[in-house]
Amino acid sequence: MTLSNLVLQICQVLCVLLLAPLLQGFILKAEERIQRSRGPNILQPYRDLWKLFHKQAVVPESASWIYMIAPIVAFTAMLIVPILIPVLTDRPLPQSDMGDMLGGGMVLTLGSFAIILAGLDSGNVYGGIGSSRAVMLAILAEPTLILVLVGISLLAKAMLPFVVNHLLLGSPSTYWSPAHLFLILAFFVLLLVETDRLPIHSPTHLEIYMIDEARILEYSGPLLALLKWASMMKQFILYTIFCNVFLLPWGMSQIGTPFGEFGSVVALLVKFLLVALVVIVVETVQSRLRFYRYQEPLATGFLFAVLAIVSSQLM
Amino acid sequence: MFLEHVNPLQASIFSSLAVVSLLLTFVMLGSHWLQNYVYAFAVQSWLIAALSASVGYFAGYPELYVIAVLTALFRGLVLPYLLMRIIGRLNAKRELHAVLQPSSSLVLGALLVMFAFVIANHMNRQSFLAAHVVVMALTIMLSMKFLGFLMLAVRDEAVSQILGLLVLENGIFLGSQILVPGMPLLIEIVILFDLLIVVACFGMLVRFLVVHAGTTSSRQLNRLVG
Repeated sequence: MTLSNLVLQICQVLCVLLLAPLLQGFILKAEERIQRSRGPNILQPYRDLWKLFHKQAVVPESASWIYMIAPIVAFTAMLIVPILIPVLTDRPLPQSDMGDMLGGGMVLTLGSFAIILAGLDSGNVYGGIGSSRAVMLAILAEPTLILVLVGISLLAKAMLPFVVNHLLLGSPSTYWSPAHLFLILAFFVLLLVETDRLPIHSPTHLEIYMIDEARILEYSGPLLALLKWASMMKQFILYTIFCNVFLLPWGMSQIGTPFGEFGSVVALLVKFLLVALVVIVVETVQSRLRFYRYQEPLATGFLFAVLAIVSSQLM
Repeated sequence: MFLEHVNPLQASIFSSLAVVSLLLTFVMLGSHWLQNYVYAFAVQSWLIAALSASVGYFAGYPELYVIAVLTALFRGLVLPYLLMRIIGRLNAKRELHAVLQPSSSLVLGALLVMFAFVIANHMNRQSFLAAHVVVMALTIMLSMKFLGFLMLAVRDEAVSQILGLLVLENGIFLGSQILVPGMPLLIEIVILFDLLIVVACFGMLVRFLVVHAGTTSSRQLNRLVG
């Protein structure tokens, strides 16, 4: 018995929606365990969201309609992206040709853009600082992202993530080519930067160097819950792209039976476990960089992407 | 020519060794610490030794084994040891006042690699199957030369300048191992001893500078003294 394509597509979105807090909870827990303290329960992000959804929303007097609409835009953007990328099945589902990789990148960036506007909207000082820092990081990270997308499309001769997945599954020589390995390294740098991890983002939130927390400082109640959930989903989506398109293209359902879908959820969790452990090691051994050294990891990522493109021309 | 009938496995071994050595050059370019430069240089030399050994094995040049051993011994052990001694005697542990920040030099280096690739692509006239190995070797050789020049130009500590020189030389050596593997043994040995003498002279120069001028940074040595 195979599930219909529509059901599969809904399953992809639901998988991202429901499992994103679990990934966040695992990372928080494991980080604390490495530092030999107990850490919060792995289900704590779910409880936080539940609590926030039952609280009253307090809106600042200076806020305009952008303040109300930004969390919804950000949340919706994160719901659209899982339709476009291979989460559970490795074949293109009917709606997945709505946008290629650049389209997915645009929707992801649209979510961040809405939050940046919201940070500026209420006139709070911290919101402004957070937004300006986030924009600076986006400016530094965007060239690398574009080059990574160009590099992977040069390898696969296509802009669709499914084609890349099939190519990497089918030819080990492409998988182990320097071009692809450099792309993995470049995307890993992007992953650290975009999911608020350490060389740049501070591990303790609500302090003077905060970036993402500063933008949403004015929010409370259900709107805050939406924003937090959107950022967890963004992390989950980026991990999915990193695993299913770049690093570990194996273990995805091909036909679409319920059992196969369940298997690919389990495989996805195992892959995320591996990537999250690497991220946690980086977070534990790295200290936060000074503000004026933010460009160093991003320049390294840019370099990897350029090397990947040069070596993809050599093949 | 040996490269005309190289098989995919050999091609991938050569390219991965060469690409990792290029990456180590970027470690030198992006790091703040003088010690890291020396470690990266040592690892790079070991990789080049492995490259000459594998070229010697696959192409059937037994004298390349001798060169591999000499490379590993001199470039991989003796030169780094001498450089570490020089650094230990200095009071500068890292490049503080580089003209270009490490991140900008990384980006500039990436552009230089692209430039090297364009040149190599133009120089390549062969049409046989493994032509990409030739382009790869040329690209990496040229980019390591450019990066060496870049280090010579933007760094002002004496030790990083000599490392720029050594990287430049490593690049030529790496390219020659792949492109003209049958180069006479004697020339290679002469080059190795040249390098040894360069580093020894630099050691003396650094000692002299520390005693008489108090610094080894070219930034502070720009006044003529009669």
